[in-house]
Amino acid sequence: MKRSAIRWTATVAGAGLAAALAITPAHAQTPPPATPREMVAAYEALADTILGANKAEVKLVHAILAATYGHAQGELARARQALKASDAAAARSAVENVAAAVAQIGTEGDNAVAGVRKRLLQGGHHANAEGERQGIYDDGYVVVTKAAKQAFLDSSKALAMLAREPKAEALDAEWKKVEAAWAKHIAPGK
Amino acid sequence: MEEGRGRLGQAHRAREVVAAAAVLALALAVAPVAKTAVPAAHFQFVDVAARVGLTRVLEAGRPGKDHLLDSAGAGAAFLDFDKDGRLDLYLVNGWRLEADRVGERGRNALYHQRADGTFEDVTDRAGVAGEGEWGSGAFVADYDNDGWPDILVTTFGRNVLYRNRGDGRFENTAARVGVEAPGWNTGAAFFDADGDGWLDLYVAQYVDCTLEDVLKAKRTLWWKGLEQVAYGPFGLKGAPDHFFRNEKGRFVEATEAAGLKDLALGFGFAVRAADFDDDGRPDLYVANDSDPNYLYRNEGSGRFKEIGVTSFSAFDGNGMAQASMGIALGDADGDGIPDLFVTNFSEDFATLYKGLGHAFFEDASKTTGVGPLTFRPLKWGTALADFDNDGDLDIVVANGHIYPQIDGHPEAIGTYRQKNLLLENRLRRDDVPAGAPPETLFRDASAEAGPGFALVRSHRGLAVGDFDNDGRLDILITALDSPPELLHNEGAAGSWLTVVCEVPGGTAIPIGTRVTVTVGGRAMTQDIAAGDSYLSTHDPRPHFGLGGAETADEVVVRWPDGTRSVRKNVRARQFLVVKKGS
Repeated sequence: MKRSAIRWTATVAGAGLAAALAITPAHAQTPPPATPREMVAAYEALADTILGANKAEVKLVHAILAATYGHAQGELARARQALKASDAAAARSAVENVAAAVAQIGTEGDNAVAGVRKRLLQGGHHANAEGERQGIYDDGYVVVTKAAKQAFLDSSKALAMLAREPKAEALDAEWKKVEAAWAKHIAPGK
Repeated sequence: MEEGRGRLGQAHRAREVVAAAAVLALALAVAPVAKTAVPAAHFQFVDVAARVGLTRVLEAGRPGKDHLLDSAGAGAAFLDFDKDGRLDLYLVNGWRLEADRVGERGRNALYHQRADGTFEDVTDRAGVAGEGEWGSGAFVADYDNDGWPDILVTTFGRNVLYRNRGDGRFENTAARVGVEAPGWNTGAAFFDADGDGWLDLYVAQYVDCTLEDVLKAKRTLWWKGLEQVAYGPFGLKGAPDHFFRNEKGRFVEATEAAGLKDLALGFGFAVRAADFDDDGRPDLYVANDSDPNYLYRNEGSGRFKEIGVTSFSAFDGNGMAQASMGIALGDADGDGIPDLFVTNFSEDFATLYKGLGHAFFEDASKTTGVGPLTFRPLKWGTALADFDNDGDLDIVVANGHIYPQIDGHPEAIGTYRQKNLLLENRLRRDDVPAGAPPETLFRDASAEAGPGFALVRSHRGLAVGDFDNDGRLDILITALDSPPELLHNEGAAGSWLTVVCEVPGGTAIPIGTRVTVTVGGRAMTQDIAAGDSYLSTHDPRPHFGLGGAETADEVVVRWPDGTRSVRKNVRARQFLVVKKGS
């Protein structure tokens, strides 16, 4: 949510509240007045902003995941090329990078993203509060479910171990699992 | 210090317990335990602290533990500061608070061991009382390579670095050499990250808060809907860890340059440096409270890469971050690869990460039995050490809750003051009757480990060392608002060998040195570290239980620079001095 939007909403709401207080008799016997239309409208605008921010968060996390997946694909291609060229050192490095990227998909981002998520949680923001209650999501996770996380972490570990002595067939087999997990849990429409 | 994740988290853990029980049952059915001709353990530990003169009370905030700092406690260290061959002790202290004001700034204590095994408080003479800071941990290393062990005291405030002058006195050089790092400093490790012969330093930090925050803290977190307890760490901001490169006795902040930036601002508690991937370079493991743990792999030239998740040492086997407190390193299963044991909050397993080699791990908590055995207490200081000298590494854990308020509801998860745990490793036992069902690797031996393991306090720091040089490892434990415990090992133990590594004309303690002892074709390895357990430092002399053997076939010392010293056919029951270059 943009700071200017918050400031505008607060100003309107504050003015409305002041006006309401000014016209209310000290010992009124009548029911409380209806909330002024301007304040309701301001609140509607604020709600749009808040809910819009949630949607934007989902889109952003999907973008982060897609970028990470793309990075993994790039490193995978590099690994395959290195294996074809019998360049063991380059293959090791590339497969390890694939593993790291797949791990980052599982954890919905690297440690820097984790720091941001922690801040959101500290502010009381849970992207999937109901999903957390049902045990589907870890605290603060937006897109990646626990099941998806486990699948990516398992593949990540297998890839990382494979990086010690990369073999093309084993790499392809493990990547197929990553693709399947991606299609099942993350790909657009999921 | 994880709490406040609510009942969901507890329900999740409860499901894990059921799952663990199922896995345990399976493990019992399929996992045989190796057996050799070694007698069963007969542990016997007696607290001799008061008898030998250890009386300093650990001040710990307010009685209600209104802030996490009140209940974090402090560590301890074994060291031989005057190089007389007898271990001395250093105890860190906190402050006592009275409501929102400081009641007393606790004083650290240096206890010098006399020839008769008693200790003399030489704090004032040595000048190591702690400079009035609220202390956290004690880490012993020779940072300036002058041949005398120095003491780093991490603090909630400015760190203190006591340089040993070699005449029984110390001077605080923290400001001069650049390691004060104001903040809530906790665990630390000295290690030579770049192989230049000078010990670098990693210091973890916990929560970003001020003394005013601590003094004004109110208990606002509802614990299980029953009591209001200290708030956090969830909901508080983590503080960044620091890495200092040692440039000939002066330290330069190099956290980011070394690839060690604490991007997630994890709530850091414990740090252990070790060569996890066996490439001759020290790596670094950081235990975070409530956040994923870090494993920094040393890439060479003092550069690191964080590989916690891909090494499978960041989470437990369920992919969950745990509330980690302390670290122990050792080869628990005897396969020649170091394993990691990490203590966690109550109602959660301590995690035994089985080393797979090349810095890969798998969570073996359930199959080895340590998970179910450690689920209930709140766990802190720890060590993997051979207390019965039978040739395998047992586990000791210091326990104690952080909320005194739970004493009003002992049925919930127990009490604030807790007994410690001694888990016997059964790798080398031979008293299992023929046909008996296979057992898990570890079993709880606490109840039969003597009066030392019957003490009920809110324990925190833990260091292991053979203070009386009798070949049996003793245990030093700190506890909130209490004097320390020195658990003298009086058990019937097997044969042993302790290796004293010396560098003539060089460092007092060769941190990073690895010692491998081979007996009957079986190799056992220990390393020398400064920074271990929870806020503590163990005896720097690697100790090996030899079971029934009276000779070690071979002793290999791998020095930090990669050179080796080898001894053959070494007689047991001695302190073997190995000098570098010999």
